[in-house]
Amino acid sequence: MTEDAVADGPPRIPAHDRILPVATPAQVRAYARRLTVAYPGQLALALGLHGLAAVSGLVAPRLLGELVEDVRHGTSHWTVDRIALTIAVFIVAQGVLMRYAVYVSARLGEKVLARLREEFVDRVLELPLSTVERAGTGDLITRTSRDVDVLSRSVRHAVPETLIALVTGAFAVGALLLVGPLTALPCLVGVPLLWGGTKWYLARARAGYLWENAAWGSVTAGLTETVEGARTVEALRLEDRRVARTNTDIAGAWAAERYTLGLRTVWFPMVEVGYVLPVVATLLVGGLLYIWGLASLAQVTAATLYVQQLIDPLDRLLSWIDELQVGGASLARLLGVSEARADRTPTTARPAGERIVLDDVRYAYRAGHDVLHGVDLRLRPGERLAMVGPSGAGKSTLGRLIAGILRPRTGSLKVGGVPLADLPLEDLRGHVALVTQEHHVFKGTVRDNLLMARPEATEEEAATALAAVEADWVAELPDGLDTQVGTGGLALSPAQAQQLALARLVLADPHTLVLDEATSLLDPRAARHLERTLSAVLAGRTVVAIAHRLHTAHDADRVAVVEDGRITELGRHEELIAARGSYAALWDSWHGGPVERDAVPREA
Amino acid sequence: MRSFPVSDPGTPDRRSPARYLLWIARVQAATMAGGAAWGVVWMGTQALMPATIGRAIDTGVTAKNTDALLLWSGVLLGLGAVQAVAGIMRHRFAVTNWLGAAFRTVQVTTRHATRLGATLPKRVATGEVVSVGIADVSHIGNSMDITARGAGAIVSIVLVGVILLVTSLPLGLVVLIGVPLMAAVVAPILRPLHRSQRHQRDLQGELATRSSDIVSGLRVLRGIGGEQVFAGRYREESQAVRAAGVRVARSDSLLEGAQVLLPGLLVALVTWIGARFALAGQITIGQLVSFYGYSVFLVEPMRTLTEAADKITKAHVAARRVVRILNTEPELPDEGTRTEAAGAMVDRPSGLTVRPGRLTAIAATSPEDAQAIADRLGRFTDDEVTWGGTPVRELTLPAMREAVLVADPGARLFSGPLREEIGGRSERELRDALYTACATDIVEELPSGLDDEIAEGGREFSGGQQQRLRLARALAADPEVLILVEPTSAVDAHTEARIAGRLAEHRAGRTTVVCTTSPLVLDRADEVAFVDAGRVTATGPHRELLATVPRYAATVTREEEP
Repeated sequence: MTEDAVADGPPRIPAHDRILPVATPAQVRAYARRLTVAYPGQLALALGLHGLAAVSGLVAPRLLGELVEDVRHGTSHWTVDRIALTIAVFIVAQGVLMRYAVYVSARLGEKVLARLREEFVDRVLELPLSTVERAGTGDLITRTSRDVDVLSRSVRHAVPETLIALVTGAFAVGALLLVGPLTALPCLVGVPLLWGGTKWYLARARAGYLWENAAWGSVTAGLTETVEGARTVEALRLEDRRVARTNTDIAGAWAAERYTLGLRTVWFPMVEVGYVLPVVATLLVGGLLYIWGLASLAQVTAATLYVQQLIDPLDRLLSWIDELQVGGASLARLLGVSEARADRTPTTARPAGERIVLDDVRYAYRAGHDVLHGVDLRLRPGERLAMVGPSGAGKSTLGRLIAGILRPRTGSLKVGGVPLADLPLEDLRGHVALVTQEHHVFKGTVRDNLLMARPEATEEEAATALAAVEADWVAELPDGLDTQVGTGGLALSPAQAQQLALARLVLADPHTLVLDEATSLLDPRAARHLERTLSAVLAGRTVVAIAHRLHTAHDADRVAVVEDGRITELGRHEELIAARGSYAALWDSWHGGPVERDAVPREA
Repeated sequence: MRSFPVSDPGTPDRRSPARYLLWIARVQAATMAGGAAWGVVWMGTQALMPATIGRAIDTGVTAKNTDALLLWSGVLLGLGAVQAVAGIMRHRFAVTNWLGAAFRTVQVTTRHATRLGATLPKRVATGEVVSVGIADVSHIGNSMDITARGAGAIVSIVLVGVILLVTSLPLGLVVLIGVPLMAAVVAPILRPLHRSQRHQRDLQGELATRSSDIVSGLRVLRGIGGEQVFAGRYREESQAVRAAGVRVARSDSLLEGAQVLLPGLLVALVTWIGARFALAGQITIGQLVSFYGYSVFLVEPMRTLTEAADKITKAHVAARRVVRILNTEPELPDEGTRTEAAGAMVDRPSGLTVRPGRLTAIAATSPEDAQAIADRLGRFTDDEVTWGGTPVRELTLPAMREAVLVADPGARLFSGPLREEIGGRSERELRDALYTACATDIVEELPSGLDDEIAEGGREFSGGQQQRLRLARALAADPEVLILVEPTSAVDAHTEARIAGRLAEHRAGRTTVVCTTSPLVLDRADEVAFVDAGRVTATGPHRELLATVPRYAATVTREEEP
């Protein structure tokens, strides 16, 4: 059964192109080295204390050996009492030393850990805009939650345990040699089993446990989906399918568990025998040496006890090695974040004016698949331009280009004569800002959420910004601006979140704003009202509004119809209506005017 | 060894948490017994080892008897081999017990969650059920796992006790009283440790929430600025976690020290008394060495017993949550007997009539009113709704769910192959549904099309794409009565116009209700019911209402209030 279980190993995970890089082993090692020597004093203290504790722990068996020898030859009560007391003294010393050794090394571990995670968050906060846009949040979330967790476990437990095991083990071997090289030799019989077995196991364990984790992740995700979608399950009568999904997940988890259990079925007995063999060998060979007169009884007893005492550090070492490996992998993923290539190399050129001009702009997410095919557009400072068109036509891509997040593949996109993508991020934010329908309420107070772009803004400015987006509800909150919102706080509706995002933008006050469906989550009538108020506040600012509601287009200064990666119609609402193109057809049917069925937008 | 999942997890005993745990143990009694048996052999062999070493020293080494030395070394090796085999067998049974309990708990919880359906979110917090899947199954599994080692611990303590008392009554008593005493002395250190660990876990949880929060909002943050504010806040909380970690280390290091000190002192005491006895000839030198061995060995089974008590306590807490969920009952009574109904549906509270075979649109001044009507028509809430003159309550719930489908914006896409998620009786129906919902292009952009695996909640799709896929799924289900709530709120006007036209064609001759205020969709309905303040105040074709009911016109063209 074991053979079967080991034969069908973990499934190969398809190597998909990662957007976020992973650090190389050499980089991880270099970083670990830097960390190791960052606090030399504390590290030396921790190692020293552990060493002293280990030495104190080795005294008892040696003294017991002497005691046995003395008792054998007959000795006084006084000697027995003295030796027993010495044993007790060293045990007390070991206990006290151990306490401080553990404390000092844990304190150092916490310090290193805090530094690791803070540096990671700093790196995340410096990620290039385009990487953030493309990578999505999935991978980053995994790195921030799972990898930081795994690394904490490693630094808190695996690293000190391995260190202690190494120190204690080394001293035990030293003590064994001191007792007598002849009685020390037999313990080597365990080495081949321990070495070979562990090597075999470690080569397979990591993939096995990753598989196991993924399989359990699937079980949890399946249950979560069933629970969160409980009403949908009932409405669509998906009960059987959900139960089947759970059963499939369980079968998957069982397969993974069976695999790792198979690995342990081979490894555990090898290790157990590897532990007991040296004890038997030391006892047998030591006994024979004693019988032949080559060793004393004290040596045999002490050696046998030392070999038994070696089992504990060995066992610790072996059981934490794979945890160390896993921790190393997580560290690689955390460090990798800083390897993401910077997407802008700012030049010193400063824009002259606020005019944004697009000339024959093309863009492709994948090489050879342009989504924009030569867009020309001159934004008039202070105008309100609405972009409409079917989904997938390239409106949002165009919006991201105008906001300076993406760099055109060919063609030029300049503000005041300078390419937008060449501006330093801080400057760019002063020129253009983007608000999308994707909203996020940060954990903190309403004030935190509002002032993040301009922490120095006054209370009055904050109030004006909130009024501009008609967020009257803030005043009615229990603690007003200081109400806790986001995860763990008061849950805001998507519409409220969108209002906050817009208020934030009003406070940041760039000269050009790109609003990508920025009011789509509001009730339609409220949306229109808000847009009108907002445009009063933003008077003088250039606004590019991507919208699927036609009233946005109606209220704008100009309308651009984007179809298939091109601007097909551009002009004032009345002009486009008069032109009787696809915009006019849409407007008519929406507004209940005369409908010419064949003028309804062409099918894709 | 058995295989998982079991086809029928059985009927759990949900009268109390303890009974639930006992039920789990009962249904897997065979492997539980196997685990305990191997656990006894495993720890028993360990218990015999110090005695064997003592005999080897007495009869072999000190007596200079090579044969005896060989014999006892051989016995020791044999014990080692038995221990290795028993160890892995115990482990295999224990893992099976763990998995059996965990898997069975997931199975009964899932089964019950599907039985509760729409009641579940109203009665139980999502997080509570999800934590069953994450933490509680492990706790319940742990309590089953520990029985194997627990049984071994009890038996070996008894075994060692007998050996010690037979060898030397006073020394045996010292060991047998000393070991539990040590465990008792350690207990007071454990409480502050657990407290500081809990505190640290809480802070760490908050820190994790903070970092996930930063990552989730990273696009916003990178777009508008404020990184330094967040970096500063994270650093503050990270340092708080560090301080909590150091506090944990303080109690933890005390425990580590005590765990060296207390057994060590007992060993010193045993060695001292033993050496005195050996000097007086009351015990042999080998027996002295084995007493030393036993006082070291007994620490392990004592720890196992403490661990078992802890795990069973935690499992009891976990089982309480499972039992509470299992004891929740669906809130809608399913007492109907009829399985069929036909004719017009009438919603008394609003005065709405849905004529069979027609496309009825509900335009409500407030979206909540429309959702409430949809819930009543679909019997997600019990109220005065009749179908062909008889109350819908008289239909069985399964018949009702089969006949009427309410597709609301809160509906969820499930992970898995897209083809399976959309459904449909045939490839043709599936394609038709995708076409009507204007979702064909979404499928075409996927690397493997319909065979692509979609993520939970369809999160790789934009809001508009998700909405179209959900619409396609509702259409593919092809119910007798289809109730769509705001099916096109997140798609652009071009696509909305297209969907409206195709929907009318797709459902031609079938009963369809659409709750919407979009003129593009209303224009395609056979009949529009205008709902103001929860009541139908006007009915008729869109254009007629537009011309004659000013309030209607204001609502659907989204002009501001007249």
